[in-house]
Amino acid sequence: MGRWINKIIKPTVAPEPEDHIAIEDLARLADGAVDKAENQHFIRHLNRCQRCYEILQETLKDLADEASVQTTSSPWWKTRTAYALAASIILVLLIGGQLVFNYWNQRPQVILATLNLDQQLKDILLVDDALRWEKGERVNRLVAALQQKGLQVKELNLVVLSKPYYQKKSLFGPKEALHIRIENKVAYLEVKEMNQ
Amino acid sequence: MDPEKILSSDEILEKIEAVCKRHFSAEVDQNECYVFVIDGLKADNFKRLRAYKGRSKLSTYLYSLINALVVDFRRKRYGRRRIPSGVVKLGKWAEAVYRLVCWQKFSFDDAFDFVRIDGLFEGTYEQFIREIAPIRNAPCRENPTFQSIDEHRGSSLQNIADSGSNPLEFLIEKLDRERRIKALKVIRETTEAFSEKDQILVRLVYGSDQPVSVTAKVIDLPASAARRRLKGLLTKYRERLLAEGIREP
Ligand SMILES: [Zn+2]
Repeated sequence: MGRWINKIIKPTVAPEPEDHIAIEDLARLADGAVDKAENQHFIRHLNRCQRCYEILQETLKDLADEASVQTTSSPWWKTRTAYALAASIILVLLIGGQLVFNYWNQRPQVILATLNLDQQLKDILLVDDALRWEKGERVNRLVAALQQKGLQVKELNLVVLSKPYYQKKSLFGPKEALHIRIENKVAYLEVKEMNQ
Repeated sequence: MDPEKILSSDEILEKIEAVCKRHFSAEVDQNECYVFVIDGLKADNFKRLRAYKGRSKLSTYLYSLINALVVDFRRKRYGRRRIPSGVVKLGKWAEAVYRLVCWQKFSFDDAFDFVRIDGLFEGTYEQFIREIAPIRNAPCRENPTFQSIDEHRGSSLQNIADSGSNPLEFLIEKLDRERRIKALKVIRETTEAFSEKDQILVRLVYGSDQPVSVTAKVIDLPASAARRRLKGLLTKYRERLLAEGIREP
C-alpha cells in the first residue's frame, strides 16, 4: 500500500463522529447495494470517520482475496488457454493479492505469474536494454525478487525479455504488469500495460 | 443462518486468523485478537451474528463484522497504551513522533516529515535529530527495534517497492525531503477540496490501493466513469503541484 499517500489522505477529523455506519450497511456498500441517498450519506461519514473507513477498506481487501481465489483466469492467462487446458492445474496460490499459477504437466514444472511491476522489478529491468540475460548478478537479483513475491523459483539459467523496458515517468503513467513464464530454468518476461 | 455452524466452520476461523495477522505483527497480539473476535461473535448469544438481516451478502457481512471487531480491538489496545512521561514532557510533536515510530512503525526520518507537514515541528532536520534523543531512549514494547533508524529505513524501502502503480506515491518517493513535505501538503489540501465522492474515490484507490472497479461499486458509478473521473482528479493534483513548483525530477 502506498504508505505516504495512505497516511496523508486518510480521513482525520477529530473528534470522530459517534453514529457509526451499521456493519450490515458497510457490507452493503462493499457489495454496491445501496441507493443514491444512502450512498451520499455513507460517503460523507466515511470521509470523516477513520473507524468506518478502515472497516470498509479491510472488507474490500477480503472481497478481493475471495475473488482472486475464485478467479482461475486472467487476461494473460486466457491467451494461453490451450496450454492451460493441456496441463493439470494443481495449485493456485494467492500471494499478496496477486495470483500465481503453479502447474505441472507431468514434468517439467511451469510457473506462470502476473505481478505488479513495482520499483524493485523495474530497477532490475532498467539495468540495461539487453534482451537475454545469462546467469549472473542480474539474474540472481531477479530470482531473489521473485522469491520475495512468493514464486517458487530456485534458479534460472537464462532470462529472455520480449522487448527492452523503458521507465514510464509520468504522473499519468499507465499501470504495468510483468508477465512471467518459467520453464526449464528459463524465464520469459513481458511487460504489459494493465487495463485498469 | 445458524451462528454456531458459522463459528465452527474452518473457513471463518481461518479468515479471523488471517485478518488478525494482517493487523498485528507480533504473535501474542495476533492470538489475543483472535480470542477477542471469537468472544465478540459469541457474546450475548451470538447477538452480532443474529443481527444480520440478509440485506448484504452473508460473506461480506462476516468480513465487515470480523474487521470491525479487529479494528475495535486494536483501538482498545492502543487506547490503553500510555506514552512515556519523558516523551510527553517534550510536547505534542514528540508524542506524535512516538506514536508514529513506536506504534505505527514508521522510521524517525519519516516521522520528521509527518510532524513537519502537520506543523507540529518547525525546526530543521538536524535539530530534530538532536531533540529526539530522549524519544529514542524511551521504552517501546511494540517495536523492539525502536532505537535504530537504519533498520526502519529497510522497512520503508520495502514499502517503497510496492508503489509501482500509484502515480502519487511514485511522485512522492522521487522527491527530496523539502519538496516531499510540500507536495504532501498540496496533495492533502487538494484532496480536501474535492467533492465527497471524489475524496472517497482517491482515498480508496490511491490511499488504500483498491482496484478502480471495486471502488466504483462503492461510490455507485460505472468503472469507466470512475476511471475518467480519476484522470481528471490526477490532472488537478498535477496542476496544483506545478503551481507550487513541484514536478517529477
Ligand atoms: Zn464511523
